[in-house]
Amino acid sequence: MAAEDMAFSAMEKDILQELMNIGFGQAAADLAQVIDLAIELSVPDIQLFKACELHEHIATEVDSDREVSIVEQYFLGKFKGIALLVFPAKAGKQLVSLFGLQNSPSRPSSHFDQLEKEAMVEVGNILIGACVGKITELLQDVVIYSPPRVMIEDVRRSSLPKNLFAPDSMAISMKTVFHFEQQEISGQLFLIANQESIAWLKSALHSFLEQYE
Amino acid sequence: MVGSFPQTKTAMLTILIVDDSPVAREILKKCLPRDKNYSIIEAGNGQEALEKFCQYRPEVTFMDMTMPVMDGFQAIAEIKQVDPQAIIIAATADVQQKAKERIAKLGAFLHLPKPVTRQGVQNALQQAEQSLKGAG
Repeated sequence: MAAEDMAFSAMEKDILQELMNIGFGQAAADLAQVIDLAIELSVPDIQLFKACELHEHIATEVDSDREVSIVEQYFLGKFKGIALLVFPAKAGKQLVSLFGLQNSPSRPSSHFDQLEKEAMVEVGNILIGACVGKITELLQDVVIYSPPRVMIEDVRRSSLPKNLFAPDSMAISMKTVFHFEQQEISGQLFLIANQESIAWLKSALHSFLEQYE
Repeated sequence: MVGSFPQTKTAMLTILIVDDSPVAREILKKCLPRDKNYSIIEAGNGQEALEKFCQYRPEVTFMDMTMPVMDGFQAIAEIKQVDPQAIIIAATADVQQKAKERIAKLGAFLHLPKPVTRQGVQNALQQAEQSLKGAG
């Protein structure tokens, strides 16, 4: 597929934004059923970039001076790629308390680190699974997921797996920013699909619209 | 963004469709009953919706909630100040229970989850029309 064919028209970007909005809306509702809070949604952003430039792409979107926690999960179907749920590193403690997981002062700090990771994984599982699941359901696809993994690191070192993203290939990023109301926790969800997904995605977006004709 | 269909206001309902996504507005228009004529007005955010509402006084408003400039929550509150009887249907991807409660508290007529369907839009519109008839 030539690079110019991969560019998304304004209309295609608009549908994709709308689907991301619907997907994340469902994800927020699912998470709100597990922990009693409201999640403020924002207008999603869609961007096409070179796979080898992921770290730059993410770093421009995230406050790269701060340490962040990233929940990473792959999704594999016709829609294929990686989901990155990014929180400030300190959000882990707040998520632990939101889940009602209390740490005993007598336990070692490594235990609390483990609780934070578990809380992150749980939030990642719900938000990523529901969001990707809803988008792919609307586009008539089914995906399977890898187990989520938590990384606490400098976003500038993030890279995409070469088996899914050849360095010179293109990738599409669908990003939404969210805020847990009354909790001062904000995060970002990136769904990054590989070049192979792009042709399918364009066709699936048009099929989605055709149902309204 | 006014009048996709011919206007004779006495004979047809005026509908305001508010969404920052042109595709979402188009989808909603396509879900309206095809055997009826409506006067359609469109707005791309809450601020524009408020201005169009004051200008055209639509009988029914379909309102997205997540929008730039002014979101749907604020737009509903402001429109309700202008006309407490305004019929506003929240067509939104925000399906959280707390969002539904907040929307209801603001006085919205219905919560319509996205993606909208023909059936969903037509049922909502039918209920709105019945309410309008009831209000005389």
